[in-house]
Parts: sequence; C-alpha cells; structure tokens
Amino acid sequence: MSKVLESGVPAGTEQGQVGRAVKRLESQAKVTGRAEYIHNLEVPGMLHAKVVRSTIAHARIRGIDTQEAKELPGVYDVITGEDILKVIPDPYYGPAFHDQPILALDKVRHVGEPVAVVLATDVHVADRATDLVEIDYEELEPLFHEVESAKSETTFVHDVIRPAGTFADLKTLQPRAKTNVSMEYHLRNGDLDAAFAKADRVFEHTFRSQQVSHLPLEPIVTLAQLTDTGNLLIHTASQSPSFVRIEVARLLGWPENKVRVRTAYLGGGFGAKLYIKLEALVAALALITQRPVRLSLTMEEQFYTITRHAATVTIRTGVTNDGRIVARDCKTWWNGGAYADIGPRVTQKSGFTAAGPYDIEAVSLDSYAVYTNLPPAGALRGFGIPQLVWAYESQADIIARELGIDPLEFRRKNILRNGRPHATGTVMEDVGTVEVLEELARKMRWDEPFDHGSGPIRRGRGLAIGIKAAVSPTTSVAFVNLYSDGSCGVYCGTVDMGQGSDTAMAQIAADVLGLEAESVRVIHPDTEVTPYDMATLGSRSTFHMGNAVRLAAEDAKRQMVALCAEQTGFAPEALAVQDGGVAAPDGSFFTYGDILARRFGMQAGNVLGVGSYFPYYKKPDATTGMSDHITPYWMVGGSGVEVEVDTETGKVRIVRLVTVGDCGKAINPGIVKRQLSGASFMQMGFTLFEEMVFDEGQVVNASMADYKIPGFWDLPEQNEVSIVEVPHRNGPFGAKGIGETGSLGLSPAVANAVYDAVGVRIYETPLTPERVLRALREQQGRVWGDA
Amino acid sequence: MNPFQLLQPETLEEALSLLNTDDPSVRPVAGGTALMLMMKSKVFTPHTLVSLQRLKPSLSGIRLDDAGDLHLGPLASLRDVERSPVVAEFTPVITQAMQTLSNVRVRNVATVGGHLAHGDPHMDLPPILMALDARVRISGQAGEREVALPEFLTGYYTTVLNPSELITDVVVPALPNGLSGTYLKYTALSADDWPMCGVAAFVRMQGGVVAEARVAVSAATERPVRLTGVESFLRGRRPAAEAFEEAAELAAAGVHPLADIRGSSGYKREIVKVCVRRALEQALAARTRNGGVAHE
Repeated sequence: MSKVLESGVPAGTEQGQVGRAVKRLESQAKVTGRAEYIHNLEVPGMLHAKVVRSTIAHARIRGIDTQEAKELPGVYDVITGEDILKVIPDPYYGPAFHDQPILALDKVRHVGEPVAVVLATDVHVADRATDLVEIDYEELEPLFHEVESAKSETTFVHDVIRPAGTFADLKTLQPRAKTNVSMEYHLRNGDLDAAFAKADRVFEHTFRSQQVSHLPLEPIVTLAQLTDTGNLLIHTASQSPSFVRIEVARLLGWPENKVRVRTAYLGGGFGAKLYIKLEALVAALALITQRPVRLSLTMEEQFYTITRHAATVTIRTGVTNDGRIVARDCKTWWNGGAYADIGPRVTQKSGFTAAGPYDIEAVSLDSYAVYTNLPPAGALRGFGIPQLVWAYESQADIIARELGIDPLEFRRKNILRNGRPHATGTVMEDVGTVEVLEELARKMRWDEPFDHGSGPIRRGRGLAIGIKAAVSPTTSVAFVNLYSDGSCGVYCGTVDMGQGSDTAMAQIAADVLGLEAESVRVIHPDTEVTPYDMATLGSRSTFHMGNAVRLAAEDAKRQMVALCAEQTGFAPEALAVQDGGVAAPDGSFFTYGDILARRFGMQAGNVLGVGSYFPYYKKPDATTGMSDHITPYWMVGGSGVEVEVDTETGKVRIVRLVTVGDCGKAINPGIVKRQLSGASFMQMGFTLFEEMVFDEGQVVNASMADYKIPGFWDLPEQNEVSIVEVPHRNGPFGAKGIGETGSLGLSPAVANAVYDAVGVRIYETPLTPERVLRALREQQGRVWGDA
Repeated sequence: MNPFQLLQPETLEEALSLLNTDDPSVRPVAGGTALMLMMKSKVFTPHTLVSLQRLKPSLSGIRLDDAGDLHLGPLASLRDVERSPVVAEFTPVITQAMQTLSNVRVRNVATVGGHLAHGDPHMDLPPILMALDARVRISGQAGEREVALPEFLTGYYTTVLNPSELITDVVVPALPNGLSGTYLKYTALSADDWPMCGVAAFVRMQGGVVAEARVAVSAATERPVRLTGVESFLRGRRPAAEAFEEAAELAAAGVHPLADIRGSSGYKREIVKVCVRRALEQALAARTRNGGVAHE
C-alpha cells in the first residue's frame, strides 16, 4: 500500500484536488504585506498595556507601590493582582492545572512573571512607567533543575496544585501538595526483571535537553474590547480560540456565548500561542477600564512567557548479543518551569512513547512533570518527543556500536511492525515505521562506503527514527457553506499559522464538491462564526479537521444532490458531482447556483453541510498506564545527516540533511515537503546552538541579538526530503499529521554522525563547538584551563 | 523605548555645537542599529538624539587621495563600503568582510563611524583597519585631532571620543607592495552571529622570508588588539607550519578572553590559537588569489 514520493514529482490524479501541489491560497497576500495579522490591529480609544515583571525567581510579595507610576503624565492606570480579583475572584488559569494567576498574588515564581500592568494611550509612556512600579520582595530559595526540584522536601513552587479538568485526556489529574511534581505517568508492561535477566548486556545512560524558545516572528499579541451589549470580543494571535473562549468564560462565570474570540493569520506559533497566554489578562483589563486594551509582547518578553521543556532522561536498556532489545526502563524528568501550562500532557504523551519505535518484551516508563522557578514550559513542535528521541536514538547507536552491529541493522532488527503491540498495548495499524526506516537507508545510501576524511576536518554520518502518538481524544467541527451562487466557504477553527492549513482544507472540500481548491474560501477562526475545534496543535489538524471538513463537504454534497434529484426526477445515485455542479445521466448539467435558484425562485439561500470528527480513544489504565486505543494515529519521522567536524574548533557542520516522514497521504505534496524540512531546520537550531542561558533565573540571552536561530547561511548544502505514504484507514484520504514529524529524529542523528566522525559521544544538547571540542580533548586527556 | 527629541543639524558645525553640552543623555545617531537596541532594552535612555543623516553628503565619501591613502567617510554605510570599487581595488579583504557582516538590512543603514565609535569588540572592520594602520580623524568645537586605531579603541565599549566629538574621517595609509591578507571570522552560534573571534592577518614576503606581518585579534578580547609580539616573532622567518604554529601559541598566550554565552575564556583562547594560525596560512595563500575572507 505504501509508496514514496520523489521530490519534485507531481502526484495525484488529474482532476482531483487532493494530492495536487496547490500554491498557498494566501501567498500573494503575504508577499505583498496585505495578509491580516492581529499584530497590526488597532481600534479607536485603545489603551496599550505594558507588563511589570518580576526580577526575582522565587519570592513573596510584601508590597507593590504603584504611586509614582500612576503620577507619570499620560498614564491611565496601574493594575495589580488585587485589582484583577475585583472582576475575577478566582483568577487562576491553565489547561492542565489552575495554577497560574492572571497577575501575581502573594508570590512570584519565576523571573519575568507579570506582577502589574501599566495602561496608557501612548505605549512608550506605559513602557516608561513600568520602571516606576516598586515591588518589595521577600526572597525564597529558588529551584532550577528538574531532578533537584523533584526531590525537594522543603521548598515548593506551589503550596497546592489544583487540576483543571478541562481536557478529556487530563481528567485523571489529582490535586497535590508538598511536592514539586505536578503529575507523573507510569507504564508497566511485561516482567521487567525477567526480561533484564535474559539480556546479555545492559546499558544505562543519562541524556539532557536544554530549555529553548519558540520565538515566532509575530510575538504573542491580544486585543480585547467590550461590545455594545457588554460582552467581550477578544482578537488574539492564538492557536486555540475555542479553548480561549471556554477558559475566559469560566474565569468570568459567563456563558460561552458572551465571549467572542477571533484570530487571523499567525506569524508562527510552534506551540507558543496555545491555551491561554495573554487573553485572560487583557480581558480583565478591558473589563476594569471599560476600554479596548491591547497587549503586544516584545521579542524579549517571549522568553519569559513560554518555552520548551528542558528534560533529563535516564534510560536503561537490556539487549541480547545478537542485537535484540529485550527490556527498557526509562525515567524522564520534565522541567516545567513555574506553571504547568500543558506540561502534564507532554509528560504523559511523551512518557508513553519512550520505548521508541521498537518491539520490546518488557517496558517500564516513568515520567515526571516538575515545577521549578524558571519561565513556564509547554508544547513546542513535538510535545516533548524530540527530547525523548534524543535519548533513545543516541543510545540505540551506542548499543549497536558496542555490539558491533551496524546502527541501521540494529534498528531493523527491533523495529515495531504493524500488527504488533506497542508498549502501551495498542496494536500498531497503518504505521510507516519500516517504510520510513528503509527510505532513510536508501536516501542515505547507507550500504555504500563513506569517506571519513583525514586532517583536521573529519566526516561522519548518522541516522535516527522517532515515533509520536497524536493527542487524543480531541474534537473538530466544520461547516461547509454553499452560497446562493454556488460558491463555497469552509468554516473551521484551524488556525493557519504558516503551516498551510487553509490550502489543505480548501483542497479537501474542493475534492469532495468537484471545485477548484483556489476557488474555495476558508473563513478564519471566530468563535461567533466558526464551530468548535480543540486547537491547532500536535499535527492534529489534517487528520481531525480534515475529516470534519470532508464530512461537512459530503453533507453539503448530499443535500445538493438531493435537491437536484427532486428537481430533475433522477434518482440521487444516478447524479454525479463534478465541475462545481451536478451532472445528470441525460447529459444535462446544473451548477450549484442553478439548483439553489430553482429551489428559491431567484439567487438565494444556502446549503450548509456540517461535519464533526471525534476519534475513538481509551484512556490509559491508572496503574499500568496501558490502553488498547492510546491514539488515533502515529507519526513516524526519520532523519539522516552527513556532518563535517572541525577537530580543532569543535564546530559541526551539517553538509547533507535527509528528512523522511510518513504522512499517510500528501493532501498537498509541496506543503508536506516544506513542513518536513521546516521542522528539521528548526530542530537543527535546537541541536547545534539554541539555548536559553540563565543566571539566577534571569535569561541572559533574551533577545534575537544573543539568542541565535538558524539563518540561510546555516542551512545544509544538500537538503533532501522524502515523503512516505502509508495510508491510514481513518485519515481523510488516508492522511496523517506531518507538522512535527521532521523534528523527531534530527538531534540524535547529528550526535550519531559526530560520533561516526570523531569518536566522541555528546550526551547533552546543544552540540556547541565548545561542548564538542571539550569532549574531544577529554578523550585525548588535554582539556584547557581558564584563560 | 522612551520618548526623545530628535535634532537634525544641517552642518558639521551645527552638529558639534548641539553635542557640546554637559547633558550626558545627548547622543549622536547615524545608522542607529546599535543605539536602537540599547534604547529598546532601556540600557540607554537619551532625552535628545542628534541625527547625523543630513551631514551625509559631505561625510560619506570613499576616495583615494594623491598619496594613495584610502579615506572612508564616517557616514558611508557598510553597504557603501561593500560595494565600493575604490575599496575593492585598495584591498579585497575589507570588501569581502562586509559580505558576511550581519545582514544586508543592517549594512544598508549602519555606518563606518558608528561601527568604530560604538567600541563594541565584536565588530568586523576594527581588526582589519587596525592591521592596516588606520587613523581616525576626530572633530570637536575645540578643534581636530587624529588618533591611530589602537589608541582610539580604549576598552570594552569605550573609545577616546569625547561626547562632544565626532569622527570626520577614517584614513588607511597606502598599502606597501606585496602585502596580502585575510580576515578570518569565527562564529560559535549561527553563521550570522557576532564573531566569537575575528583575526585580521597580513603578510609581506621578501626573499623567501616574512618581511612584515600584521596580526590583529578582536571579539575574543575586550577590545581589538594588534599582536606586536607575534608580528616581530614572524619577521625574518620562513613561513613554515612550525613558525605559524609557534606564532599562534604566542598569540593565545598574549590574549585574555572574557567568558560569555558564546564560550568560556579557556575555549576562546583555544580558538584564538586556531584562528591566528589559519589566518596566517590564508594570508600567505592570498598572495596568489588576491586576498580573501574566511568564515568559520
């Protein structure tokens, strides 16, 4: 069933819209600067908000003096947590725990935590006044490292931890106290001791991933205003408008229909704009002032708002001499920072995949979400999976080499195949593990000899493969509206943040309705217009929303055919939908507009199709962590690199990059390819040099001048992408998600290639030149001292 | 960013008079690429900025004088320098160094004068100009003076420039025949990052031995420095691998790198060693290919 799409080869049928490399519907608007972003929105009478942030990592607040700031000419007001209480008596929010106050109350838990807000019509005045707010702190002991914080019995980031109970997959969370571990997930499958006893060799290693930033080019921004009836209208650069509405309505004790949340194109998201970020604060400010309020973060403030988890992974693996993995025991500590955000989902969803894409007799996995006094960590392109793959695929290479087995052969021996149960007990179906691995091997020309070079520049190659489960259970609803002239609008809550979802959804609707994708209009998320969607996250939209759009389009098609059947007297089965209309067996053809005009006697009316998609899921057993339906589909990504290592400086250069991903069916092969390479480049930054550096909880490099992300000069000379298609039985046209797939395997592929080149193993990302050179010198016994 | 007053003098005299004040928050601004970052982060909050934009017609020329000395107008943008045929003819090392300096948007507005007056050790031109014995002409209301670059750059973000003075010319003496060189830039993070180490190296050969060597190091050090000890060591030696190796050891021993997010002091010293050796090798090789720049 599977096939591989070669780069540059057009795929798909001649008439079909699915499988066609349709150009982005918004391309022209974007390159001419006309595309709508909330970042550009201003409304009359608007106040600008600037946030006063904590300078201390962990402290009690003794007092806040706002007097001087309030007296600065042009300042409208200064708002503290006490003021928020007047409009929202219980101002704690969060998708997993209600742990984050809208503005700090009693305590601050990380540097950069919002403590007060200055409002002014001139944003620069507001900015200046933030320096005039005096906060009196009583400092507390801060905790920064996830493993130390998990062990702490005296210092706690939160006195009590209250579960939110909003999302179905997080309903089992329990309230906790006297611990910094907000949530833990355990999986026990098989007799671990017996399996380790069968092993000829046991390997144990600890790997660490650093804290990094999403850094979307459009910083997080929200504008809230009251409507004529006193309801709230929130314009926000959010990946999850439906959740924002639910959470703001909950905080206010309002029904959902009094809160309207809308968004536009996002200048990148990557997980930074999920759940609630600024919306609760800005909504409260609009209610307090009765004026429109806008808060737009600076690049610097983004580093203190949401980040990717640093993680420590200790992994113990038992293998037989012939290279079979028989037992795995893996413990992961996730550095969640001061507020849990979606960390518990990262902990569980990543936790249960720590066995990797391998078929292992007995598996024990423990995963801990840990509070620390660092900026909060949440989801970033992969929900924690890249940090886990970093550990298990680095170790796979170590084991293979120790056993004298080729790293590819070792993976082939252990790969988890369709029909076999995953560690969770879920039987694998329609998963491209074997196909991705084999395509990666072919692209890398793994069976051919490889020149490792001589002299100061050495060459190496490495590969890695990772697996991710789609988040579940989640719901998407879509409307497909055929207007009176027969033109089509798709109403869906999927946010196009650059991933091309508008184009993909238009293709799906167009394919069902016999239209050109370019002629379909996709209406952007607005909770007053578009129906519910869980969120644009975790590579879920193509599968979930794609199904909802497909079902909605089929519903509309069915209604249109029924109308035409009524009008022509033909049986519905005899009618065919094509070219924006219905063809009858006698050769007559009616456009959708014709059909509606005949129905209503003039150009009038609509046909509204509704689609709703909610895949089957079974939550993991409370004691074993197992489930026979843990996820609706799996994503498989493979990365291969050829590197050059400068043995005199430690610098690693990726000269050839191969990214392979299984997307089930490429709805739009061009976009799929760019999603794969884009994720790969992003992960390249996290692998080679991106790192948030802290000094007592303060981010030393919180700017784009010092926190460097890859630019064009950093891209590999050879960049190759392969799309593997192993169709999924429940996917729309067989499709699965692809947005994170390219992120999964890159980091260990690079470390494995570095080992292949120079024989040193790096256990911590990023692989900076200094870290690599230090490892080389340690091996040679000649490390430098301080200069 | 806080509000500020922007003054736009039409002449140099007017600009110097506006700058002649005791108010420490009055500052000249040319391209503004560095100043704006400092203002946005509130490291610097001026009440008054004196824009030099309108002086551009008289202070942005790039020319050779009768003696063959190169003059870089302080208000010439780095992009002007990059695209100048006069500069390319004088030495391709400057031209090529500009091509990997930050990005084209920055080069379009950043100026030669601001690049030097900022005193940031992570800039690309200072080590090259220092190796080429460049001098800076400075004007104030009290008069004019000329300062050699090593004396101009006094420390980490500090120069001899008084708050009331402006750079009015940058003079690079005509190069001796046969001087070939390179600028080697080492970035530890992304390719477009500030350099962690910059080395400008020029050599002139005579009779199979080094007649003259010029080596300047920047970025790893608190200010760009000429390595005179390395230069005198090399003079009269055959350009063999061992000599360059020893020169590199000497260079590393003579610098005192500061640790920061881009590297520890010990690592930076290692990098200075590697970069000085490679720069010397490349400077020698450049004799046949007319100069160059390497980005590592």
